[in-house]
Amino acid sequence: MAVRPQHTHNGGIVERRLRPIYDWLDNGNNKKALQEAEKVLKKSPTLQAARALKALAMFRLGKGPEAHAVLQALADEKPSDDTTLQAMTILYRESQQFNKVCELYEAAVKAEPTSEELHSHLFMSYVRVGDYRAQQRSAMALYKIAPKNPYYFWVVMSVVLQAKTAEDDTKKGILLSLAQRMVDNFISDNKMEAEQEARLYIMILELQEKWEDILNFIESPLYSQCVPGSTAQACIPYLKKLGQWSRLNLLCKDLLWDNQDRWDYYLPYFDSVFQLMKNECEGDSHADDTAEKCHEFICQLVESMSSGRTLRGPYLARLELWKRLSVDGDPTSLLGSGVALCIQYLRVFANKSCAVPDLKPYLAMIPQKEREDSCRDFLTCLGFDENSEPETLDDIQRHISCLCARRLTAAPGAPAEQLATAGALRRQYLRCVARRLLTATQTEYCAADGYGTLAAHYYCSAAVQQRSAAPVLQALALLELVLHHSPANVHVKLLMISLYHMLGNAIAAESIYVRLEPKHIQLVSLGWVHAARCAPALAPARALRLLADAHAFHKHYAKESVEHLTYAYKYGTFEKLLELGAWGARLGACAWCALAGRERALLPLLAGPPAPLHAPARLPHPPVDNRDLNAIISWEPAQCADPDLKERTFDQDVAYLRLKDGLVSSIALCIECSDNRSVAEKRAQLDELRACVDAFACAMDKCRDKYGAARRELCISAPFPSRIIAFVSSPVPYRDLYSSVLTMVCELCGGEGVRGRESAERLRALLVSSRQQLEAPATSPWALRESLEAFSNYLEFIGVITFLLGVCNELSTPTNTKKSKKKASQSPDQILTTEMLSKLNDEVQDTISFLEDIFEKWPTYDYGFNIEDELAKLDITDKYHCPVEQKLKNGLQEVLADVKNILKKKSKYLKTLQ
Amino acid sequence: MTTIRPFTCEDMLYFNTVNLDPLTETYGLSFYTQYLAHWPEYFQVAESPSGEIMGYIMGKAEGHGENWHGHVTALSVNPDYRRLGIAATLMNILEEVSEKKKAYFVDLFVRVSNKVAINMYKNLGYIVYRTVLEYYSGDPDEDAYDMRKACSRDINKKSVVPLTHPVRPEEVD
Repeated sequence: MAVRPQHTHNGGIVERRLRPIYDWLDNGNNKKALQEAEKVLKKSPTLQAARALKALAMFRLGKGPEAHAVLQALADEKPSDDTTLQAMTILYRESQQFNKVCELYEAAVKAEPTSEELHSHLFMSYVRVGDYRAQQRSAMALYKIAPKNPYYFWVVMSVVLQAKTAEDDTKKGILLSLAQRMVDNFISDNKMEAEQEARLYIMILELQEKWEDILNFIESPLYSQCVPGSTAQACIPYLKKLGQWSRLNLLCKDLLWDNQDRWDYYLPYFDSVFQLMKNECEGDSHADDTAEKCHEFICQLVESMSSGRTLRGPYLARLELWKRLSVDGDPTSLLGSGVALCIQYLRVFANKSCAVPDLKPYLAMIPQKEREDSCRDFLTCLGFDENSEPETLDDIQRHISCLCARRLTAAPGAPAEQLATAGALRRQYLRCVARRLLTATQTEYCAADGYGTLAAHYYCSAAVQQRSAAPVLQALALLELVLHHSPANVHVKLLMISLYHMLGNAIAAESIYVRLEPKHIQLVSLGWVHAARCAPALAPARALRLLADAHAFHKHYAKESVEHLTYAYKYGTFEKLLELGAWGARLGACAWCALAGRERALLPLLAGPPAPLHAPARLPHPPVDNRDLNAIISWEPAQCADPDLKERTFDQDVAYLRLKDGLVSSIALCIECSDNRSVAEKRAQLDELRACVDAFACAMDKCRDKYGAARRELCISAPFPSRIIAFVSSPVPYRDLYSSVLTMVCELCGGEGVRGRESAERLRALLVSSRQQLEAPATSPWALRESLEAFSNYLEFIGVITFLLGVCNELSTPTNTKKSKKKASQSPDQILTTEMLSKLNDEVQDTISFLEDIFEKWPTYDYGFNIEDELAKLDITDKYHCPVEQKLKNGLQEVLADVKNILKKKSKYLKTLQ
Repeated sequence: MTTIRPFTCEDMLYFNTVNLDPLTETYGLSFYTQYLAHWPEYFQVAESPSGEIMGYIMGKAEGHGENWHGHVTALSVNPDYRRLGIAATLMNILEEVSEKKKAYFVDLFVRVSNKVAINMYKNLGYIVYRTVLEYYSGDPDEDAYDMRKACSRDINKKSVVPLTHPVRPEEVD
């Protein structure tokens, strides 16, 4: 953030002196800024602005305590010049001390009670801490000094916010009527002038559910003066609230005559028709109160369209009517069959890639039997079949739309059938390559790409049913070719990421992921697509990098989000204020970011050098799902739909998050308890640690019961089974392994040598048997993903136990004394403990050797497939080499090499502890 | 078939298929939230009946005196929903808002290589007002066309008399 204030008043000598300090600060050279500030202070040691900037430079150089000492001294002088105050505000904000900013400006306005600018800063300081009452007070003071509209509405908004957060209804009612009275008075004085003021007034009336008053206001001349040209549209929600269905009906019809494609007018129109149908008494002969009249109206809209431009609106409206009528009746007598209507839609719009996505919700409404019986009609309705060879781009898109509609309606079919269809689609794509029918540009997809994405869906279903990687390889080979020709196609990229991960290959997936260039908010909404899958694919270093990006985004936003509220006041956009507040809270409670925080603490124990544990921020209550699960294109038939997917997978992910949170908290407590305070002094933390370990064990038991047998089916467009499933259902007893190691540290920290050694002995036995419980590496590429996930869970434990052995080692050698001296001073109990730890250490090293041996002899897989043979048969001159096999081989090799390297380091580290 | 509604913060979680397009930039969060807080009426989204984001437009009003104008900051349409007139609908809204704000003209910048977009803007009545050299950074940098369309307030269409020479980005106000 730029430090320099936007308006400097005292332009002259002071400004000139300070300029270099600002320059250095804005360029991020804090050292130079500090030197420059000291230079200025030599000449004028009391200059407040220079001292404030000096403090800021010191803070940014990591000298927090010194910076705050300077700042406190300044604050005691109660400065009131803008330059000083702004520099101090920045420092307080950067150190998250928002309350101090309030105090600062409270003192400043006392010194200069008529300054509009200082009062407005004071108001904003209350906004940052969310003190609505203080906001109201300061905005009122501000309005008295400078009677401007925005300030008045700051007062009103502050009252509204108090009402919104008020706990009892009476208080809420009083506050809202106060807010309303304030605006009413303003209106009667003819002072209302801005759109946002009118919207705030509506918001106040809405909170009181005064629908009639809102309608009257919207229809008043004042509203159309403040918000010109939107009266009709603005009435819609309130006519609905008031049940004025006839009026709503006529209004929407009017709007639709002029806007035949506006879905937001059709929906309330249908609502009104269906209400009027129920409610025969409300008679207005012009309103459409029967299905017949409604259909008639839609037909008129269809006919009214000029021949040049056909809009989807009226056609989809007919389907919507069919859908609504079929909820509790039979619409066929009026509209014909749903199949016929869908086919009619396809006939008109099949040349658009949105045709089938548009139809999707309506296809799902057709009874399954009828849908499956007519799937062939969808394919053939435009004269195509599987073997058609369309030559124009429009026809290719039509053909693809028909094929997609068939996929959505047909019974899924046996794997052989799916593979045959996939093969046919692949031949279609290759035909387009050979016939030079590909037209993709830098930003436009190519119609023929649809053959590839649809084929990938068929291949993937066959692979899942057969539990075989071969069809996935075919899909990947085809999609790599599609992407080669159509580099902008996002669907292709996302499908490929999913497919590479299906084969457990995070490195190959990354080769595509980087081409998507996701950033900022996308790191959150798309985290599940790739970043979340790296750690279980045994790519911890890569996972850590991606998690660090997500974490950095989250941290940055948490700091910024409060500033956005001040903008909304500044520009008087009161509606957005609530939205921005809710958005800040939503991102703050992001489950994925919370998990990223935990993984960033745990994974370095495996993949990083031993380092202090980052303690993540507290777990949000409750964590929020910010995943965009519709990102990957899906051509799954309606009967394969999984309506609970989002809720189910989120519930599982949150359970996993809680387990990881328990582990991080326990490990952090182990570190805290391992210092050289007396046992009595750390009693409280030891108790907390014990409680944490018990809670973890208990949660593991519950999760095993709840999630151990959860469904694990893979779907191309959905998140993979949550990590909790493999973790709690593993034959390796992670519950006991983690609780034993944590209990051992706890006992040793508490000076309970005997009990500590018992835990260590139990742990050693568990470790020995766990080696036998580990499943052997996958022998087929299909099983690789699950196999790597199982090993990643085991390796994470190895990381934790290695780290905790280091902690125990610190415990028995609290100072950096020489080994020989230390041994001499050990009590018999400590000697026994040291011996026990050394035995445990040996066991961990043996386990590591055992793992090294497994990774050394990891099977190689045969990735044979045939797209190049088929390409060679075509008459294509440009050379294309399919990269899939190489990517998969290199990816696996890289992962294995990394893991072996990690294990070597762990082993080396463990030896240093002995 | 479109629902036009104001863009909301939560839309940022679901605009992926629009924004992963190579020429559509995903900005830092505060860029979007500042536009939302400052010019909410200029930030509109077109939604499909199934709730998918088909495209969005973000813009602002700026300038002094006869330079007071509406500006298109971003206009992007999901590739699956192109050639349906969505961009034109969204541009229309931005022009209407600019009319209400009594702007003199609406302007926008577009890559000179983006033929599809340039043609669309021309069909909507925009002219190339000037070329801005190396406006888009990249390898190599690319020039932009500054395209304009006059609003009704500019009766004599003074704002759309093309410049004869190109300008540097720093000369653009």
